[in-house]
Amino acid sequence: MSVRYHCSHLADPAPPLPPSYASSSSSFNPLGELYFCEECDAVRCDLCCVSEIASYFCPNCTFDVPSANVRGDKNRCARSCFSCPDCTTPLQVQATGTTEDAGPSAPSGPPFILICPCCRWSSREVALEFEKSAGLALQLQKLLSAKDPAQPEFDALKDHLDTYITSPAPAPTPARSASKHPTRHISHLTQMAAKALHRDVPGMAAAGAVAKSGLRREMKGGGERYGWDELGEYGTKESWRARGLERGDEDVEAMRRLGGIRMGVEPEGSSWYNDGKRRLTNRYPERIPLQTKLTKRCPHPACRHLLIQPDTKSTRFKIKMVAANYLPVVEIGRRRRRIDGGGHGLMSTGSMEEAEVRRKERRRLRGRGEEVDEDMGAPIRPGEVYTFQIAFTNPLYDPIQVRLTQPTAPLPALLPANHLIHIPTRDFIVNPLKDAWSYDDEEEYADMEGTEMGTSEDGSSVLPSSRGTLGPAAGKRSRLSVLATSSGGTLRDKERRKRESEVDKKGNCTKVGVEVEILPGATGEVVFDLEVRFTYRVDDTDGSKPKGAEKETQKGKEEYKHFTFWARVDLGCISP
Amino acid sequence: MGAFDAPIPYDKAVYIETDTGNKVSRKALIQGASNIVLGGKSIIQTGAILRGDLRRNAPGQHPVITMGRYCTVGENAVLRPPGKMYKGQFTYYPQRIADFVTIGKDAVVEAAQIGSGVDIGEGAVIGQFVIIKDLAVIRPGTVLADATVVSSMSVWEGNPGRLVDTLPETYQETVEASCRSLYQRFRPNA
Ligand SMILES: [Zn+2]
Ligand SMILES: [Zn+2]
Ligand SMILES: [Zn+2]
Ligand SMILES: [Zn+2]
Repeated sequence: MSVRYHCSHLADPAPPLPPSYASSSSSFNPLGELYFCEECDAVRCDLCCVSEIASYFCPNCTFDVPSANVRGDKNRCARSCFSCPDCTTPLQVQATGTTEDAGPSAPSGPPFILICPCCRWSSREVALEFEKSAGLALQLQKLLSAKDPAQPEFDALKDHLDTYITSPAPAPTPARSASKHPTRHISHLTQMAAKALHRDVPGMAAAGAVAKSGLRREMKGGGERYGWDELGEYGTKESWRARGLERGDEDVEAMRRLGGIRMGVEPEGSSWYNDGKRRLTNRYPERIPLQTKLTKRCPHPACRHLLIQPDTKSTRFKIKMVAANYLPVVEIGRRRRRIDGGGHGLMSTGSMEEAEVRRKERRRLRGRGEEVDEDMGAPIRPGEVYTFQIAFTNPLYDPIQVRLTQPTAPLPALLPANHLIHIPTRDFIVNPLKDAWSYDDEEEYADMEGTEMGTSEDGSSVLPSSRGTLGPAAGKRSRLSVLATSSGGTLRDKERRKRESEVDKKGNCTKVGVEVEILPGATGEVVFDLEVRFTYRVDDTDGSKPKGAEKETQKGKEEYKHFTFWARVDLGCISP
Repeated sequence: MGAFDAPIPYDKAVYIETDTGNKVSRKALIQGASNIVLGGKSIIQTGAILRGDLRRNAPGQHPVITMGRYCTVGENAVLRPPGKMYKGQFTYYPQRIADFVTIGKDAVVEAAQIGSGVDIGEGAVIGQFVIIKDLAVIRPGTVLADATVVSSMSVWEGNPGRLVDTLPETYQETVEASCRSLYQRFRPNA
């Protein structure tokens, strides 16, 4: 049970591929996870937004880390935050020594150890103790660099290459000397790689040619090495040979014995096994990885407007352009099953003509109480007809006129349909969102039924024209615009019409019915797309709002805008 | 949101509604009530246990559990202030819970601080001195070790609990609306 909204990912808004195309699912997200660009008048999603890191922070000590330090700190907290090597729980610092001012029962002085509040792992297991309770990361780094040769070696190598990587690419001049370690500048290399990647497919031949002419020339060496850099020789801090890690044939033999069906069985007495054991017992706590707050931009090359800008000091956002503030919330609920649905299903072949016949039959039977309420989670059965309500909740301070249809997919479905959808009420109004101060208006809104085209199935209805009056308080309610108009008639008429059109209105929420006929013998998931086109009033900046009983004029019409979006409704699997 | 959310009826004989709109089950175990401060429009459901009696080992009046508005303490959930040795003596520390906090059924909470808009799932265990910042979700069944810090906009799951996800930017509106809606739908039957 879900309703997700479509993002066209920078393409012009168009109906999505049918649900049977698995590839279409990446274009649908819950409304709460979508953004809206006012400049482009388009929905944007996390996949297409351009994200930039606004700030870094440690999730454990919640301190912000200046972005300049992040790289040096290797994206981890450089204070005293560690995770347990056994269970990843954040470790706690515990004093083990006694000090003078505290009683003997409560140790509060050095040495300090790290202890896991979850699995009771203690840094004593790896013989780690600290002299001070703060700045443990630095203390640990010093302790570890004395024990583990790999990290300092890597750091030294990285430092050696760092200046080389970050320095700007030299102008392509002939090499000054024949270095023994020619290495192309890395940024230059990535540029080349990028060029190669962006080449057309027929360009493969060209790439080959470059490789032939370019690479071979490089291989020859000598005076033709343009753009080559000097790189000093790197001397290792410690030799792996000196540490006795070289076993040569012995290791090769050990690897041979690992093969075949003996995979997974430790070769007895093998050095591999022993090394593995060493790693298991000597695990050090890891510094906790940093988290980020993200700034998100509209991905359109001509737009790039900020959609999300977090406040780095709080949980608020300086800019928050989310789709939930622009598009109505679509929800599905109130499931009912038609009791006579099964009988008709027997002769069904799923053709549109038959569906129409059955639909007419259902309409004839409607209102005679042949429907039973069902739980939304109850299994969906083949050959049954269900009616649901689809709720639209308006986030705008103006009413919206909605047209609800099934989209015309750009490609035919991959699978034959397992259900048929019928939307009896395609056009309806959703009342505006109210501020807390206007709750007194409740009664008045209840009266505003608008002009639902209850039985119109040709979709011919347009914006309803203004009829009736809005009463003396019209000035106050002018923001309702002429969209919401009283259709007149007696209360009983209204109620009857309401029932017929299956429109249920409350506050800024309108519910309409949808029939879902599960075809006999059908299996799989019941998923369908809806096209929602809504018309809303644009704020009139020159103050000439249409007021009260004024008729809608041509000029007034220009103040309306349309927006179309697509939503995918997933009702779950059919149970046989 | 929540257009199909049904009313949640309760037995009028079971719940007491206070002047500030709190709805407290008579079948909840509230110990040391004078040390418990409820901000209003909060719901304490049947079987919940609030240990306001576990007060600080110091003279004077100290609130033990404070809770903001639009909070819900689910059925059989336990709220208990954290305690530890301090200068050779065992003492409890106050438990502060902000607004729009939902504590699921059967959860056990010994946190020191729970921020606004925090959702603690059913059966979760929140260890002593845990600090949960504003806007976070602890999924059902999660066990948070003592003194865990949960940062804003994060989602935690598992035993031991780990940061598994982040929340969408719309979470604050969503959680506040759902807490308000829950309170409004929690009505006496007939
Ligand atoms: Zn997108
Ligand atoms: Zn844009
Ligand atoms: Zn930290
Ligand atoms: Zn652990």
